[in-house]
Amino acid sequence: MLPKLDPLLHSELRLAVISILSGVESADFTFLRQQTGATAGNLSVQLEKLTAADYITVEKGFKGRKPCTTCRITPSGLEAFNAYIQALQAYLPGAQK
Amino acid sequence: MTPQESLRLITETMNNSRKAILQGSANHFLLWGILLTALSLVIYFLWHGTGNPAWNFLWFAMPVIGYPLALLLRKREASIPKSEIGKLSGSVWTAFGAFAICLSIIAVSLVPMNVTLLIVVLLGFAECISGAILKNWPIIVAGFILGVGGAAAAMLLRSTEAQLLLFTLGGVLLAAIGVIVKMQYR
Repeated sequence: MLPKLDPLLHSELRLAVISILSGVESADFTFLRQQTGATAGNLSVQLEKLTAADYITVEKGFKGRKPCTTCRITPSGLEAFNAYIQALQAYLPGAQK
Repeated sequence: MTPQESLRLITETMNNSRKAILQGSANHFLLWGILLTALSLVIYFLWHGTGNPAWNFLWFAMPVIGYPLALLLRKREASIPKSEIGKLSGSVWTAFGAFAICLSIIAVSLVPMNVTLLIVVLLGFAECISGAILKNWPIIVAGFILGVGGAAAAMLLRSTEAQLLLFTLGGVLLAAIGVIVKMQYR
């Protein structure tokens, strides 16, 4: 039987965010927006969902005088991402043989 | 999304993020490369023109000019994420800077030594390690050639003024690395 894909990660924008955060220590909101091409509103909503699931942490602060939102992946977020990739591989042609 | 689309999205996103981080490090290679080239040429011509080796004290202007500019550059790249690549690369060059400054001070005030040879080896070594961190073969090879070839040249070149031109070569190589990385990860 094929493994179930994590519905929280199986969304284009949330998956892109987690993919970026899995490779860096932290990334700010502006960078995530630039890389994903998402609107600020949509990105905020998806970040909230990931935060609620404890996949990422969001820290609001200031860089100089400018407000800055910094996002980090949590250990459980990283675990979920790795599990998601493993599950995806099972869906690829030839994986069930 | 199909599983294939998901995997493609993950790969593309990770690659794009890595490109953005590497583009940021390229700017720092360019900055220090241009600064090293310019300063070595200025010192060479001043020393050559006046015959006064005291112009070498101008080397201490390098961190004085370079670090504020590097900080300014970092402020401009404020949105580039913190990554292991950036941290490791930064540590390598900070260590290089500390070694170069301390050795120069010791050579000037305590024990005379061939600072050109030592610094050119350190420069090549730091470049090699940076290349390994960035997984970039041209940088590794350039660093190796600069370090090993530079050490041999520093011993063979009799005139200390001529040895200065090794730093010009080092600076040009650093700036070239910046250009290569920028082009590679555009």
